[in-house]
Amino acid sequence: MPLYIAKRLAIGVGTIWAAFTLTFLLVHSTDNSPGAVRLGMGATPEEVEVENERLGWNRPLLTQYADDLGKMVRLDFGQSLINRGDVRDQLSDRLPVTASISVLATLLAGIVGTALGVVAAVRGRGTAKAVNAFSGFSLSIPSFWLGVVLVYFFAIRLDLLPATGYSRFSEGVGSWLQSLALPVITLAIGGAAVVARMAASGMREALAREYITTLRAIGTPEWRIRYIHALRAASLPVVGALGVQFIVLFGGSVIIENLFALPGIGQAALFGATGNDFPILIGVVVMSTAVVVITNLVLDLLTAVLDPKLRTR
Amino acid sequence: MSSIRQAKHQRIPAFLRSWGGVFGAGWLIFMFLASITARWWRPYDVAEQDLIARLQGPSSEYWLGTDAVGRDLFSRVFTAGALPLQASAVMVLVAFGIGLPLILIAAERGGRVEEAIGRFAETIMSLPSTVILLAAIGAIGNRIYPVMMIFGLLVSAALYRILIGVAKSSRQHLYIDAARVDGMGSIRVNLAHVLPSMARPIAVQAAIVYAIGLLIINGLAFLGFGPGEPQPSWGFMIKDASDNIFNSPWMMVPPGVALSLTVMAANALADALAGPLGIPEYTPPKRRRTISASPAQQSEGTDNLALSVRDLSVVVEGGPTLVSGISFDLRQGEVMGLVGESGCGKTMTARSLLGLLPAGVEVSSGSIIWQGRQIAGLPERDAIKIRGREIAMISQEPMVALDPLFSVKSQLTRPLRRFRGVGRREARRIALELLRQVGIVDAERVLRCYPHQLSGGMAQRVAIALALTGSPKLLIADEPTTALDVTVQAEILSLLRALVAETGMSVLLVSHDLGVVADICDRIAVMYSGQVVEAGTVAEVLEDPYHPYTMALLGANPHVADDAPEPERLAAISGSVPPPGNWPEGCRFADRCQFAASECSVAFEPEPAHVDGMSLCIRTGELRRTGAQWAPEHRGAELAVESEAP
Repeated sequence: MPLYIAKRLAIGVGTIWAAFTLTFLLVHSTDNSPGAVRLGMGATPEEVEVENERLGWNRPLLTQYADDLGKMVRLDFGQSLINRGDVRDQLSDRLPVTASISVLATLLAGIVGTALGVVAAVRGRGTAKAVNAFSGFSLSIPSFWLGVVLVYFFAIRLDLLPATGYSRFSEGVGSWLQSLALPVITLAIGGAAVVARMAASGMREALAREYITTLRAIGTPEWRIRYIHALRAASLPVVGALGVQFIVLFGGSVIIENLFALPGIGQAALFGATGNDFPILIGVVVMSTAVVVITNLVLDLLTAVLDPKLRTR
Repeated sequence: MSSIRQAKHQRIPAFLRSWGGVFGAGWLIFMFLASITARWWRPYDVAEQDLIARLQGPSSEYWLGTDAVGRDLFSRVFTAGALPLQASAVMVLVAFGIGLPLILIAAERGGRVEEAIGRFAETIMSLPSTVILLAAIGAIGNRIYPVMMIFGLLVSAALYRILIGVAKSSRQHLYIDAARVDGMGSIRVNLAHVLPSMARPIAVQAAIVYAIGLLIINGLAFLGFGPGEPQPSWGFMIKDASDNIFNSPWMMVPPGVALSLTVMAANALADALAGPLGIPEYTPPKRRRTISASPAQQSEGTDNLALSVRDLSVVVEGGPTLVSGISFDLRQGEVMGLVGESGCGKTMTARSLLGLLPAGVEVSSGSIIWQGRQIAGLPERDAIKIRGREIAMISQEPMVALDPLFSVKSQLTRPLRRFRGVGRREARRIALELLRQVGIVDAERVLRCYPHQLSGGMAQRVAIALALTGSPKLLIADEPTTALDVTVQAEILSLLRALVAETGMSVLLVSHDLGVVADICDRIAVMYSGQVVEAGTVAEVLEDPYHPYTMALLGANPHVADDAPEPERLAAISGSVPPPGNWPEGCRFADRCQFAASECSVAFEPEPAHVDGMSLCIRTGELRRTGAQWAPEHRGAELAVESEAP
């Protein structure tokens, strides 16, 4: 088990490093420069050059890389080129919003998807076909469009939920959940479809196993066979799928924040991308990757709890 | 492979024979052609504004309505398809262009190389790709093709993870080894053999990734990183619709439906390419309908008969008969062997006693009298009360018979608490006792183990302990030693013998191994093609077989008794067991029998044999008189077949 955790941790650190390096290379592969971004349209080439010199942009690439990497380890991403604010402070305000959306959406997708998958696996051919059709359908609906449709029905026509805006957790759990309801549901539907297919095939595979016959032969009640033994077996691929889904839903929430006007990290990425704000971009990528890595570590631990082969290693 | 080959023989590829495949391929082709030719046939230019007709619904003038500046949505929706359909294709090419070489190299080299590439892929896969793409746009600008190429790079890691297993297993094929031995170069082997055998999973993944690409391109366009106004994109049109949702909700319909249908088409194509999944459908045990079982024939000596099976037939619903007219008796404390070649219905017979036949298989007639009660075709509700408590079963493969996710302790104490109504602590104590009873010395340690930590023999002992939790009176042992080493086999057999002596339970041992049967059984029933062909005590049947099939089996048995002369060669039984549904009229063994004659092709009754046994051979008496022996050499069968033809 310690070896397993160490391995996962190493991969996590490697992922953050890869994210940083990739973005660093992207930023440095353009003819745009931070000086030009910082001073805006009106600046002369000479002024830009002076500013770049001041920002250390003209140093050798490797020196800058080592320098930036060192700062990144200390969570120092520098200042925004646009609003001059500290990148870490700006992003750490926004991170909880995106993280809440994607964590809640992953949880919802996991619960709804597992329930659908189990029903599809045990309720015979007709139900299985219906669930499969639903999954195929919801996998193909773009979340940013589904969001618009849901806003139209639930916020505008029925007036049940707020269409846009964010209410902080500290302002009350009720209004926090209300402000997140539509974005979370929007995102979760696609995830639930993936999980449902995974859970259904996992259950079916488990129920075809030899040990199910053993359990039947000692008169184990059917509910126990299904919901304790088969479901436990199916939970392994489902948890595996949730790790991938979290990455997908995190990306989705970056897009969805724009639709629901939520002050998350995706909005920062959007402004950063529009304004070529390099420090913001690097900060967003590194911090998002860190969230993804931490969530996947938690799911890895969960897998180890569920699977004795990993636990007893 | 076979499906690919099949597809070649038919004119229509397999994936186009489903509605999903037709829709998927059809819609993608239609959308692609329509969008690249749109400029020549669209009713309005994409930038043409009609400020009087703003935010309109569908009309004869504007078929799909207009947007906030009065542009024709119909023209814009169809024009918008071209870019994502092409850019996503480029992304798929990049993803496979990077992914496939890595997959092939990793599959070929294995070891360190594979591990390194795998680590790298896993790292890339955990990157939040949407954020990276936004960063890429921030760095290199809003250039769709380069950005999608970066996305292709990220996707190649996911492809690696999904396809590496396929590549590795396709390298296992013998013809690839053969090609290597023939001196074919590595690249040619990959191109000529490995890649073609991966064609189907590659096509499926390509379609899935293509759908994801469409979603990403339009998601970015939704954020404003599309082709740029006035050029239309579905993503930005949806963004536009969301800004005008109060004034004109209709606006969200055309671009949303167009994009959804296109993504759906790619996914449907992927599903059609993948074909049906190879996972068996699960059918819950249902209340089996009570069969028209013959009344219990209590008359014949109910002295200490534990089990009495009469004329039992097992059929596939709407299909062939698997077991027909089986009869046998089992006394309390007796061990009976059910022997025969595979496919003769031994396991079906054994499972029917527990009501645990596979889905779609059922007892069609006959009776199973257990302790004086008819249990054939009992409803599930009643059958479940017998399982474990009265009749238990151990199966062939001990390593897969235990749930790998639960500890031995949990698997033993659960049924103990249910069967014996004891508490947690007491159940644990009994579990330890049972483990010791089945010959496990360090029971405490085994109790804490998980199945993967046990050896095969140990797992079989645990499985036997599990079967004993309900103190059954009959244990069905279905090939309990087949999967084990010879030494372990002997241990398990002597354990079974000891348990019979200790507990007084009966055992029905299913086996194809006459040595095993001779070792521990009191009585034997030899099965062939779903019938019992000879029954009697082990001593009588094995030493003096009446039925030619039993003679042949004994002749084919490599184990020789100590005092018997060693045969010069083993007898072979020519031909094979006829499959269910293909049984000949009369004697089912006649085709393979050395003694078959014309009278064998008509139906006949079993002849009494041994003391209280039987032999299902019309020539029994004649063969006994002439003292016929099964000859190692094959003779006479062809003649018999000819004379038998109706």
